[in-house]
Amino acid sequence: MNIVLIFLITIFSVSLFFYGKSKTKTISIKDNIKLNALPKFYGYYLVLWCSIPALVFLLVWSLFEPVIIKSIIIETAANQGAIFSDKNEANLIYEKIKAIHLGTYFGDIDSILRESALAYSKFINLFTNSKVVLIFAIIIASVIYSLKKIKNNNKARDDVEVILKGLLFVSSLIAILTTLGIIFSLLFESIKFFSVINVFDYLFGTNWSPQRAFVRDASSITAAEFEELKDAFGFIPLIAGTSFIAFIAMLVAVPIGLFSGIYMAEYASIKVRRISKPIIEILAGIPTVVYGFFAALTVGPFFRQVGENLGLTVSSESALAAGLIMGIMIIPYVSSLSDDVINSVPQSLRDGSYAVGATKSETIKQVVIPAALPGIIGSVLLAVSRAIGETMIVVMAAGLAANLTINPLESTTTITTQIVMILVGDQEFDSPKTQSAFALGLTLFIATLILNYIAQRAVKKYREKYD
Amino acid sequence: MSNIKIKSKNLNVYYGDKQALFDVNLDLNEKEVTALIGPSGCGKSTFIRCINRMNDVIDICKVTGNIEMDGMNINDKDLDVVSLRERVGMVFQKPNPFPKSIYDNISYGPKIHGKGETKSELDQIVENSLKKSALWEEVKDRLDEPGTSLSGGQQQRLCIARAISVNPEVILMDEPCSALDPIATAKIEELIDELKKTYTIVIVTHSMAQAVRVSQKTGFFHLGKLIEVGKTEKIFKNPDNKMTQDYITGRFG
Repeated sequence: MNIVLIFLITIFSVSLFFYGKSKTKTISIKDNIKLNALPKFYGYYLVLWCSIPALVFLLVWSLFEPVIIKSIIIETAANQGAIFSDKNEANLIYEKIKAIHLGTYFGDIDSILRESALAYSKFINLFTNSKVVLIFAIIIASVIYSLKKIKNNNKARDDVEVILKGLLFVSSLIAILTTLGIIFSLLFESIKFFSVINVFDYLFGTNWSPQRAFVRDASSITAAEFEELKDAFGFIPLIAGTSFIAFIAMLVAVPIGLFSGIYMAEYASIKVRRISKPIIEILAGIPTVVYGFFAALTVGPFFRQVGENLGLTVSSESALAAGLIMGIMIIPYVSSLSDDVINSVPQSLRDGSYAVGATKSETIKQVVIPAALPGIIGSVLLAVSRAIGETMIVVMAAGLAANLTINPLESTTTITTQIVMILVGDQEFDSPKTQSAFALGLTLFIATLILNYIAQRAVKKYREKYD
Repeated sequence: MSNIKIKSKNLNVYYGDKQALFDVNLDLNEKEVTALIGPSGCGKSTFIRCINRMNDVIDICKVTGNIEMDGMNINDKDLDVVSLRERVGMVFQKPNPFPKSIYDNISYGPKIHGKGETKSELDQIVENSLKKSALWEEVKDRLDEPGTSLSGGQQQRLCIARAISVNPEVILMDEPCSALDPIATAKIEELIDELKKTYTIVIVTHSMAQAVRVSQKTGFFHLGKLIEVGKTEKIFKNPDNKMTQDYITGRFG
């Protein structure tokens, strides 16, 4: 029904656009009036007036309709004699009534349910009909209002600008509110988690084994359970594993990315650049899950094989394999960002260096790179925050056990991997185990936020210097 | 009559298909200031960039003909560009100090050429270069501050000091004052007067008054051709060519 309504509103609006346009033209010719705006603005004006109030009404109606119907129906059922002791049972009965209405209920239907289902059908019809009527009323009213305004030769251009500004504002508001919503949901769940687990136990604990947290109800934890939980959520192994894998990744990505960026910016001819730059950037377009199974199925076993031949014990899921592949994934970020910053070092600096007799490599090493350094650091920091947040590769290739190790051949785990592990499958939402995922998410969010902030400051400072 | 330091014969320069210089024959005298004037795009800068082979940086640029310094063919394919540029320094239109300290800006060139092996030798080179460029008194107490923190005129003198630091024989100046205010310009001109005792100087300028003030010899370029060259006094008072006359009296350009 709603889709049909939206479709109708769209058709009305589009036809009103042409109507408004031609109408205003004839008015201006017939009465020889100089219009305040171009005819097309009157068209837009009608479109906006026809569509926005109706769409807003439809949205609000759709939000409240189910809630209102539900409360009415539950009340009706109660009047019919239905008995329910708490909210959950009421919900159950309501769902049954809905299912009967839709014809998908296969249990026994008693008289109470049948009566309520009839009432439900009646209300649904009533609400739908009144919705349609009201929407048409709104459209007619707003169209009449706007046509009247047009007759008075209003400043349609200014009005359209104001409405458009409002629409753009609402869009950015939605983006901001969504972000805030995510942050607050992280925050509130984390607060619940930290009400059970001490912040310091979390931040400085060296043991991570959330599977021990089989506590049914977080609000009634016994002392024994608490002792058990206390050292199950130690953050240290996770941050160590995360930093370790990110470090290996940066060992791969920074030199290769930086050198290829230098090559692209300083040495490559335009032709080579035009071909090879997109090829490098393809690396950034490969889905991380593909990298993940490449790491898990090809690189990991390969390392184990090589390790066996050398007489080393290599776990088939190793920090090395995950870090290496992650590094390859990050190369394009480093190379394309550093290529950009090196390119924006002014040619005059290079000329100055050549003019005292420096060679190309001396110039790059001693003038270009130092000049581009803040930007390069920025690009590396952005790559680090990308590495820390990366999930798929580590889930598949680094292992799940929270080992506190610095041996790259052993398996280790990261923050993101653990979040995945905790939230995969059926979860109880009031268990500290589930809530710990939010705490991890919050920690990760804060860490990458700080890194991004520093990186952007560095890049910006660099821009100011030469612009 | 002073010695000829640099001699160009039938010098042609092409940027891709476009020819930028046509058969330029120009001699530059030792320890003299030669000014090159002419409207924008006439090839003055292209000419001086031939002297230290800066045109090599531009891929599509091709130079034919002869250009000699003390009998050595600058345009020779096998010539070592690094040692050529050690002998021919250059100062650019816009001050372009490196994003390094004042000290490092000056010591950059000597280090590259392996001059000044000890710290004290290097200190001496830096001090001498800054003194010669008349900047020493202003910056001697803040040699470790970034070169970019200086004013525009100071930056340009820093760039001159940088060019002097490797002890060249020739200094090329490509409109060195075009980004400076009149006071800074006056200082640079004063400096050029001083420097010509030691160095052979070629200056490209858009200011006729500047050419008169600083140079002994002037060449007028137009559309890639050297129209007239001669003693500055003669060029500005009594040029042979009608076009030169028109340009210096401001009829075009």
